Parts: sequence; structure tokens; C-alpha cells
Amino acid sequence: MDIIVCIKQVPDTTTVIQIDPSGKDIVRDGITYIVSPYDEFAIEEALKLKEAGDGTVTVLTVGPESAKEALRTGLAMGADEAIHVVYEGAPSQLDSLTTAKLIAKALEGKKYDLVFCGRQAIDDDALQIGSLVAEFLNVPQISLVIKLEINGEQIKASRTIEGGTQVVESRLPALITAQKGLNEPRYPSMKGILKARKKEITELKAAELGVDLTPRVVLEELRLPPARPAGKIVGSVAELVKALHEEIKVI
Amino acid sequence: MGFDFAYTDEQKMVQESITRMLKRHEDKHVSWRQDIYKHHNFPDALWQAFAETGIMGSFLPEAYGGSDMGLMPLLLALETLSAHGFASVHAVVTAMDALCLLKHGSEELKQRILPKVATGEMRLGYAHTEPDAGSNVFNTATFAKREGDHYVVNGQKVFISGVDSTQKLLLVTRTTSLEDAIAQGNRTYGLTLMLVDCDSPGLEKQFLPLQGLEGIKQWAIFFENMKVPVENVVGTENGGAQIIFDSLNSERILAAGIATGMVDFLLDRSTRYARERKVFGNRAIGSYQAIAHPLAETKIEQEAARLLTYRAAWAFDKGLPPAEVGHFANLAKFKAADVAIKAADHAIETHGGYGFSEEYEVIYYWNTARLFKTAPITREMILNFISEHSLKLPRSY
Repeated sequence: MDIIVCIKQVPDTTTVIQIDPSGKDIVRDGITYIVSPYDEFAIEEALKLKEAGDGTVTVLTVGPESAKEALRTGLAMGADEAIHVVYEGAPSQLDSLTTAKLIAKALEGKKYDLVFCGRQAIDDDALQIGSLVAEFLNVPQISLVIKLEINGEQIKASRTIEGGTQVVESRLPALITAQKGLNEPRYPSMKGILKARKKEITELKAAELGVDLTPRVVLEELRLPPARPAGKIVGSVAELVKALHEEIKVI
Repeated sequence: MGFDFAYTDEQKMVQESITRMLKRHEDKHVSWRQDIYKHHNFPDALWQAFAETGIMGSFLPEAYGGSDMGLMPLLLALETLSAHGFASVHAVVTAMDALCLLKHGSEELKQRILPKVATGEMRLGYAHTEPDAGSNVFNTATFAKREGDHYVVNGQKVFISGVDSTQKLLLVTRTTSLEDAIAQGNRTYGLTLMLVDCDSPGLEKQFLPLQGLEGIKQWAIFFENMKVPVENVVGTENGGAQIIFDSLNSERILAAGIATGMVDFLLDRSTRYARERKVFGNRAIGSYQAIAHPLAETKIEQEAARLLTYRAAWAFDKGLPPAEVGHFANLAKFKAADVAIKAADHAIETHGGYGFSEEYEVIYYWNTARLFKTAPITREMILNFISEHSLKLPRSY
């Protein structure tokens, strides 16, 4: 089975985010980047499926030159191939629709049975790529998958829904978005890192793919959440109950 | 290309791999540190998780199950581990022995040992120091007498790490007495290295209640007619001296990495506390220069130590002559040990009375940091080497 995994490089979850003076980007200096955690579940699931049978896993990303690091991580985890759609413009100018079109374009002519995405990238939380890519590839999409079984062409997937689990069936080819709980992603082993060094990354230029890069949704402004007001120290249980009842009105 | 101080993608992945491994076990960190610093055990689960990354094979060729990346990845991994408060002496000594085997061991010995090192299944110890021989290895008295297809070893060693938690020891012996060597006009002649099982008949171990080298126990060992097969010799009979000097370089470099990593841990604890702790009014103590400046100085010195350490590992991986690698390894160990002590001291100072409480953990690192000044080579011996070899001053001893 040949599998594509769409991944995104995002700032490390422990990064202290600051807004750039332009107001349209974060300060990128000194940031450590990681593969978006939901994408790691996607990579892991793809690798497991490959290991259980045969085929290839290709990791794909759209992003600046530095996003190659994310692809290298995917290769070091065990992916066979990598495709980098190099996007050189400002991150604020790249909307989900354009990204999805670029992904679909990059996959033109490529053989695949399954496409994985993380449920969302943890930086912009747009949650759109899975749906958009599925649409452009004209394959069914199953989102928020926490368990996946594939028998021949048949897919059986468990999804998280409010208060429970839903089991759905579909057929290959399809697009799956990975949810936390799907698996425990491996970390790149030293041997994997060594092998990754020898693997080629296929480079495509976003500007040369024939996709209109004009954003339909433009990022206008980024704001940090308001600072949390200082806590209040109460002197007694009675005072606490009173505050919860009268001020915050939770009891 | 000349200087390039950036981490490569690969090196970043090594760091990330170790960080992620540690993150996955975050709930166990405190108990692991207690295991290491209070009970002198290295937690099996931590060793397992560390080994699963494949890091113990990173410096070994692919033919022995490794990934052939040189010493730098292990250095970065140990630094990262240490930055989370875990110093692994096992990794240092095992790597040092394995590198020695790789360079000087027979093919049969390499095939037998190295793949198990690469998976983390086998840990090795190093038995060098004796009551009358340490910095002066030529005083080694443990004697291995050849009898047919094996040696019969008699003697004793002291300050030997992990005789209970490693499978084999790389043992420094004499196969020609010092008197005979001197009579032949070559006092460096006569030392032989051999690999011995920790549970060999004729090997007795005595626990030494020492502090400082944490996560591993220290032993005195006694050999009484211990038999060692001839094929376990590493290098040539009587030609061990040069091998020993070569091998000690990797140990110094890795020890320096652990020390600079420890500074990260201590600075993290210190700054975290200094940002929160208020004593007079509503100001965090970190805003007082008396608290901040020593920490800032520690940071500067740590970066200096780190550069020296990377340079030493770089020289090692470039395959520069051992004397040149040794020069940088010595500088790195010297500087890293000094800054680790400073960081531990300032961490305790920053924490005030809480600096001595196990809850805040910084006190654990006091002995460990101090140990680096003495081992794997003393500060004074390094100064001697630099004086004699770099500055060409007359030998002082």
C-alpha cells in the first residue's frame, strides 16, 4: 500500500510566542520547530500499515526552506520518500485553500491508496487541510480517527465523537485525519537518522505548480490572549463559597 | 568550509529524539532522579528507553549494528539527558570501551561484543585504577601471566564503576613487570588490555560507599588466579599504553558533555526559582543582581565549555592524532568541571535554605559536579599536561 502523509512544521509547543511588529506573523527568531503532533500520529499509522504489508510512505509538506527539517524527521522515523512544496512567501499569505490546492497538485500523477493528515496543525488550528485535500483528490474523508483497520480495499475506522466513539466504513483510496489516541508515535532512531541522510527530498516550487497563490482568506492581525488577571486569595471556606457563588457564579 | 557553529539537521534530530523520549516518561523523572542520586542505581526503564533510540550504536559502524555517526551524537544525547538531570556513567564507559574495541580489538571480539553494545543490551566497565596506580598507569601491578591459551590474572583494582551493573570489564594489566620494561629501556612497555566477565571465577568484588559518580556503584575488585582467554586481549600484548591514552579521550569528552548538560539543568532550576521566589516586597529575587549575575556568568562559562567540548568531539570525529584530540578533551573537561561546580554552587545559593532540600533537587548535583574536577582526570594533571605539552614548560613531576 502506498501512503501519503501531509505534515506541517510548527513552533514547538513549549515556545513562548511573541507577535512580530507587523502584527501578521509571530517572531520567528530563535524558535524551535517540530512536526505538528497530530501529524506524528499520522506518520506513525502510515508506517505501521506499511510495516504490516508492503508499499511506501511519502511525507509531504508545503512550507519554507526550513520545513525540510520536518520532512527529515519523517524520513528518520521511517518514511521512504519526501516531497517538499517550497513556498517562499509570507506565512500570513498562505491560506488553507491554497495549501490544499498545492498538495493536490503535488500529488498529481502520484500513486497512492491512502492519504493521512493530522486532525489539525497546532499553530493556526484551521482544521481545513484534511477536508480540502480530500475534496481536491476526490476521495472520501474520515476525520478524527483513533483506530484504523484495513482489509483489502475495506476501511474500518473508529472516530471520536462527543461523548463516545463512532465506527465507520469506507473504501480505499481515502483520506484519514489522525486524532490523539490513534497510536504512540516512535521517535527517530539513530539508524533512521542515518538512513534519512541518504534519502532524497523531491523539491517542487509552489510558484511553479500553476496554482493561483492569491489567498482567499488573508491573515489581518494576530493578537495574544489577554493577560490572566491576578488570582485572589480568600481567607476562609465561607468566603470562597461566597466568591464562587456571587462573583464567578459557578455554584 | 571553515567554521560552522550550527547544529546539523541530523544533530537536531538526535537532540529531539532524546528530548521526546524523556518527555514520554515525564511522570517518572523525579523518581528516576531519586534512584540515581539517592540510591546510586541507574533506572532500567531509563536505560531501556535511552537504548531504544539506538544511540549506543550511533558511534559504531553499520557492520556492527551501529549508525556510523561518530562521537558527536552520543555527546549531544548525553548532554540532553544531563540537562534533564540524568547523568549516565554507563553510557560514557561503555562507549569508551566500545571505541577502544573498535579501534584495537580483533574482528572476532568486535563481532561478539559491539552489536550488543549498539542495542544497549551490553554495558561495559573499565578497570584501570589501583591503590598505587591511577594517573600513573605505569605503576599498574595487576599481573597477567600467560599459560597456554589463557592468562592467569592476580592483583586488585579500586574505584571501579558498575561491576554489578555491567557484563564485562576492560581490564588494564601488566604482562611484563615495570622493572623488566625499564631494564629494556622502555617504561611504557608491558601493559595489556583484556576483556573480562564481571562474574569470572577468581574475581571478587567489594562495595565502596562513595558519593559523586551517581547512578552507578563503585567497587574494589580482587583477582585471584582469574583465567582470561588469550583471544580476549584488546590490542597487542605489552602494547596497551598507547591504547589506554587514546581511549581516555572519549571518556573526557563525554564527561565534559555531561557536565555542561548538568549546567543547563541547574540553571533551569535556579532561574525558575529566582523568577518566582519573593522575599522582600513584591519583587522576585531574580531581579536582584546578586542573584542574577552569578547565573549570567555561569551561562557565559557554560557556552565556553560547550564550545570546547564540541571542538574536542569534532577533533575526535575528524580522526585527528590522539595527542591533539587529548589536548582539546583536556581543555573541555577542565572548563566543564569548573562551570558545573559553579552552577551547583549558585543553584544552592539561589535557593537559600531550600537549596539543601531534596525536594528542590539541586543539592543532588553538588557531589556530582565536584567529582568532575577529580575524575576522569584531575584538574592538576590537566594543568600539568597543558604546561608541558602546549606551553613547552619543563615537566614538573
